[in-house]
Amino acid sequence: MLFPSESALRADPQAVAGSSDYDIVIVGSGISGAIIAKQAAEAGKRVLVLEAGTGVNRSLVGYDDLLTTFYSAATKDNQSPFPVNANAAMPRSPQLRKLQAGETDSSTYIVQSGPYVSDTTYTRIFGGTTMHWEAKTPRMLRSDFKSRTNFGQGLDWPLSFEEIEEDYRLAEQEIGVSADVEDQSYLGQTFPDDYVFPMRGLPLSYLDQQVNNGIDGTSVDLYGQIYPLKVRPYPQARNGIPNPAYDGGRGYRPIGAVDTHQVEEGGRCQGNTNCVPLCPVQARYHSGKTLAKAFRIRGKSGQSLVELLPQAVASKVVIDPDSGKVVALEVKVYNDSASPAHETITVKGKVFVLAAGAIETARLMLSSGLRSTSGLVGRNLMDHAYLLNWALMPQICGTMRGTSSTGGIVDLRDGPFREKQAAFAIDIHNDGWGWATGAPTSDLLELVDDRNLYGADLRRGLIDRISRQLLLAVMLEVLPVESNRITVDPQFTDALGNMRPILSFTVPEYTMRGAAYARQFSRTVFARLGAQDHTSYAPSDFGYVAYEGQGYAIRGGNHLAGTHIMGTTKTNSVVDRNQRSWDHENLYLVGGGSMPTIGTANVTLTLAAMCFRSGRDILKYLH
Amino acid sequence: MSNRVEAFLGLSAELTAFSRFDLLGTGLAERYLGTLDTVVGGEITDMLLAAFVALPPPEDGTRAQALRATILGSELLGDVARALIKLWYSGTWFELPYAWTQRFGPKSADATFVVSPDAYIEGLLWKAIGAHPAGAKAPGYGSWAYPPKIPTFPGSPTSKPDAVSVHPQNAGIMS
Repeated sequence: MLFPSESALRADPQAVAGSSDYDIVIVGSGISGAIIAKQAAEAGKRVLVLEAGTGVNRSLVGYDDLLTTFYSAATKDNQSPFPVNANAAMPRSPQLRKLQAGETDSSTYIVQSGPYVSDTTYTRIFGGTTMHWEAKTPRMLRSDFKSRTNFGQGLDWPLSFEEIEEDYRLAEQEIGVSADVEDQSYLGQTFPDDYVFPMRGLPLSYLDQQVNNGIDGTSVDLYGQIYPLKVRPYPQARNGIPNPAYDGGRGYRPIGAVDTHQVEEGGRCQGNTNCVPLCPVQARYHSGKTLAKAFRIRGKSGQSLVELLPQAVASKVVIDPDSGKVVALEVKVYNDSASPAHETITVKGKVFVLAAGAIETARLMLSSGLRSTSGLVGRNLMDHAYLLNWALMPQICGTMRGTSSTGGIVDLRDGPFREKQAAFAIDIHNDGWGWATGAPTSDLLELVDDRNLYGADLRRGLIDRISRQLLLAVMLEVLPVESNRITVDPQFTDALGNMRPILSFTVPEYTMRGAAYARQFSRTVFARLGAQDHTSYAPSDFGYVAYEGQGYAIRGGNHLAGTHIMGTTKTNSVVDRNQRSWDHENLYLVGGGSMPTIGTANVTLTLAAMCFRSGRDILKYLH
Repeated sequence: MSNRVEAFLGLSAELTAFSRFDLLGTGLAERYLGTLDTVVGGEITDMLLAAFVALPPPEDGTRAQALRATILGSELLGDVARALIKLWYSGTWFELPYAWTQRFGPKSADATFVVSPDAYIEGLLWKAIGAHPAGAKAPGYGSWAYPPKIPTFPGSPTSKPDAVSVHPQNAGIMS
């Protein structure tokens, strides 16, 4: 697919402020905003997308600059490609520290109010968090939509799986999912008879295969129920081999790269093992691809129907007190990311869509004084809790090759045990212990500085230590709890004077019970593999949680949800089943924040599906 | 090529177990020598090179012990030599230990930094384990499904004749 050399022209702030004919104003250029913008433009609507970041990475040159920043970064954390921008700051996990009881740490962008310190991140840049996501795209299970009814836990969705299934297919098409139906038909997942994913599944890594050799055909017993073990491939939002049977035999054309015609870019995954934090060749989906298509849609007079205003931080939602409708957004536009100097403009439109991610959308609502009738804005914050388990395989597995993750153990995503404890999905990390220990750099330092190895001994030591690494990242279900929340306080502001998010979180007991079991489960798997367990959790770890006499280091999953929860009435939720605000009829709060539960599915595919639904509702509202 | 660069390559090859050919192939040898000069200064760098040149010849059985005693075990040169190993393997200069700085004085350029974007990409670590730097030199679609091709080297597990047969410990190693 070819895109123009400059995919999106920067809109002029004065022209934007003077304009009164935007049909839709969208805050955020991540996947939610991108899908709604494209859908609206296809229907002939005029759309403005506001992006807090600089937007320079919408061109290939700007994208490649991120890669160079990554190469040059001494600490290659999951935000390392993205330059510091105090006007649109984002959380960065290496800055975190453990809190004392009752302490609040405001030294990082997210104010950590505890007791649990979350290293969750999201990316405030053109393309949002799809610029750094790992791009696993499992669907939620049928039972995940009814966890209150089925397990007496969490909440039921106001939508059933059946009602969202068609939008899952639209999301899989837009994102370009690589998977095979036969691999995904476990735990009762079903697909229409003729359905195939756009592209064939990515092959399992050699490491996945070695793990599978050790566990395939074995099972575990949990509360009297038997669960078979197997390494299954994950569906992935990265380009694979198009499936000729897709779309009734019409096939699928992979979504290319933004702003280039080079065949090296936007083609099939090359195995850069760097999905997080940045795919160097844009084989992994990011919402710039959807936006690039949207920007090409022209109106009757030939003008682009979708405009992008970068360096524009939405600061206040202005409400008409009589109708409750949104009349405008106050937006702070800065010229230089190194300076807080800015002008404040007012942006008008017919419909407003807040698509800034679960934390920023809630932050914007709360700092506008909009808690909603239910008082639930910012509450029910969810993010998958990760428990890392790491070991050395007995044999060389070629770790550090592949996409970040190709396979995992997913048969405990569902079962009657969910009445008592959290379900989980495990992914096998092809980049070894990196997430847990900082491998392979930490291994190099240890072997050279502490073990005094050099020359051939060092080379042998590195092979022995790194090529056998296995990391089981257990992703645990977290249910909505109202006291887990985002708040704001005028004493904590950013460079532009916008209030920063304050995070208060306790890992729910339901999740910790699942974590305790997951630790035992991992030890069982290691025993079957003959792998040396190297897992340890330090009490000084910022994410350390004690549970029933044991301690666990819990990591955030960056799967943020729940802060403007979806429900059936204005008293039990913030938005309706179409993600429309109950209180403000021309306001849509979209994205993970609307999800009442997150099950054991990485949230992006589900929230993308929900945005197709919202896009249709917005068009209906406009007519 | 100057004697200084020659000595630096010889020292680097011995410390890393990568050949001069491999090291020159990174295109970074002179820059890394320059990094040493910039960070610890020409004088200490020259002492390190002189210590290497003064080692007994390779055929002498005492060479490895001498290298341990006069370079890696030297109070002044040991930490510099270890920083050089890490530099070749990762492209990153790692700040010298606190104790070294206390004893020999702080060096203004001695902070942890990546020498250049290509230095990261050319890190020997990735080649040593038969992988590729994360985010560069991608091996191609589906390559991850096959065993790694870990290069052999003098002293590597597969350089032993009995390692040719498939043994679980070596199943993944191919030359």
